[in-house]
Amino acid sequence: MTDLLTIEGLSVRFSGLTALDDVSFTLEEGAVRAVIGPNGAGKSTLFNAISGYVTPTSGTVHLYGRELTRLTPHAIAEQGVRRTFQNGGLFPALTVLENVLTGLHAQTEGSFLDILLGRSKALKSEAENIHRARELLKLMSMDHMADTRAGDLSGGQQRIVEIVRTVASDPPVLLLDEPAVGLSPVARAQMMDIIHRLAGEKGVGILLIEHAVELVMAAADRILVMAAGARIAEGTPEEIREDRAVLEAYLGHS
Amino acid sequence: MSTIMPSARQRSLRIWAFWAVPALLLLLPLATNAYTQFIVNGMLISVLVTLGFTLVIGNLGQLAFANTAFFGIGAYASAMLTAKFGLPWIVTIPLAGALGALGGFLASAAALRGIRSYYLAIITLAFGELMRWAYLHTKPLTGGTDGLPLPREVVFGISLSDDTLKFYIFLGVTVVLVKATLNLMRSRFGRSVMAVRENEVATASLAIPTARVILVTFIWSGFVVGCAGALFARHVGHVFPESFGMLHLIASFAMVLVGGLGSVLGAVLGAVLLTALPEYLRAFPGMEELFFGLIVAAVLVAMPMGLASLLRRLSPIFVERYYREES
Repeated sequence: MTDLLTIEGLSVRFSGLTALDDVSFTLEEGAVRAVIGPNGAGKSTLFNAISGYVTPTSGTVHLYGRELTRLTPHAIAEQGVRRTFQNGGLFPALTVLENVLTGLHAQTEGSFLDILLGRSKALKSEAENIHRARELLKLMSMDHMADTRAGDLSGGQQRIVEIVRTVASDPPVLLLDEPAVGLSPVARAQMMDIIHRLAGEKGVGILLIEHAVELVMAAADRILVMAAGARIAEGTPEEIREDRAVLEAYLGHS
Repeated sequence: MSTIMPSARQRSLRIWAFWAVPALLLLLPLATNAYTQFIVNGMLISVLVTLGFTLVIGNLGQLAFANTAFFGIGAYASAMLTAKFGLPWIVTIPLAGALGALGGFLASAAALRGIRSYYLAIITLAFGELMRWAYLHTKPLTGGTDGLPLPREVVFGISLSDDTLKFYIFLGVTVVLVKATLNLMRSRFGRSVMAVRENEVATASLAIPTARVILVTFIWSGFVVGCAGALFARHVGHVFPESFGMLHLIASFAMVLVGGLGSVLGAVLGAVLLTALPEYLRAFPGMEELFFGLIVAAVLVAMPMGLASLLRRLSPIFVERYYREES
């Protein structure tokens, strides 16, 4: 399998506090890797450092061998590493369709002047993207909600629309920050199905922060366990289940 | 598929409704006298002022109050270029817009440096006052307290002091700028502007350069309002510093809110209503301000989302959309 994302020695220090301590791993095409750990383990810092919201103190991030370290968040997203947000990143006042279209921003052609003057180049590209956005919503059985304000959706629907928006541009790498939090069991199963399909059918490399243990065990090929900013274990779900260090980190000394 | 798309009929109705308004307005001079024509001309200027303002505080969600500064810059640019440099007034409209855009660029610098909310409000208010100070203290250029008169001009054999001729020019400029702004809002640009307002962090994660979105919104707002300034200079024929003070800012702010924050349609409605209202209130001498305030308050209590929300409830063709499915 092709290596998509290569993380080497990534560290983040905030004035004396080490939030992320020398983390390295690779994410391959079609792989689902979960990142777990107690609160404050550095999972979100890892995501923020990869996606450019936090500048790493040292270490590198490469996608297809191209360095992404220290690029701005929008440049990293344009390169093909896209993420969702733990507390929901939808734009409530925009409709579902408009939200998905924001995910296709970089795919929409036409300069400012083309748009201003309503030139056909801009309109054609817009029409193509609208078509694509509707198709994507249809795949998730959300097409009947296209004109609903995103803020009026249920929590589970919002999570799904956010994922549709994030993958609309066909990014090779997807970072999902607690996609199942607050979801009903049915919605959770649907979320798991979406993750499987993205990785299995489209070959998206997925990095997943999640607290729902059953989802992690079922969805991930490999699990990275973190505590206090550092990696304490890594392996398949079966290996992690047996790992002493993990048990200690989660349950204290037993 | 067809059930979820806004129907083609609705779309054509929307286009129809848009162009019917200026088409009907072409006949308006038949129904006005010199005085009412003057008021209507002022309305068109207010539409542009409100439109530029609502883009920044409504759509982009930045508490920036430099709008009147853009307006003054446009008005003085037009007056100076005609009076001191002898340019035909018509030519000064886009130039005034360009200088207004420069004002927008300067105002955005504060927002881009991370100055937001109340801090941005106070710094942009200071910008406006600074501009007023500049008009007062650069007498050789601006005429200081005496203001700056525009020279008489003749276009198509008609004097530019003729309010009917001015109306057609103002209408043309207004329609072009409103249409261009609608084009912008119903595109990836308009979506990005809204996205920045709603969640700037998430916006960047979608490969949208948020800083550029903020910059360009301010520039376009400055351009529209700067053009309005040029119209205003010809409308009154003589620009004074007092026209560009807090009173103008508050009046435009009221127009934005009464029409509906962040709505192009609302900008038009708010500007028209609040320009017309004082004229009707002249029937109650001494009570005008009181009634004006009460009516503004009543509209906002009854419709916090402004007059545009009323029309939205009447017909889906008035719902603001940030994409365009025509063609």
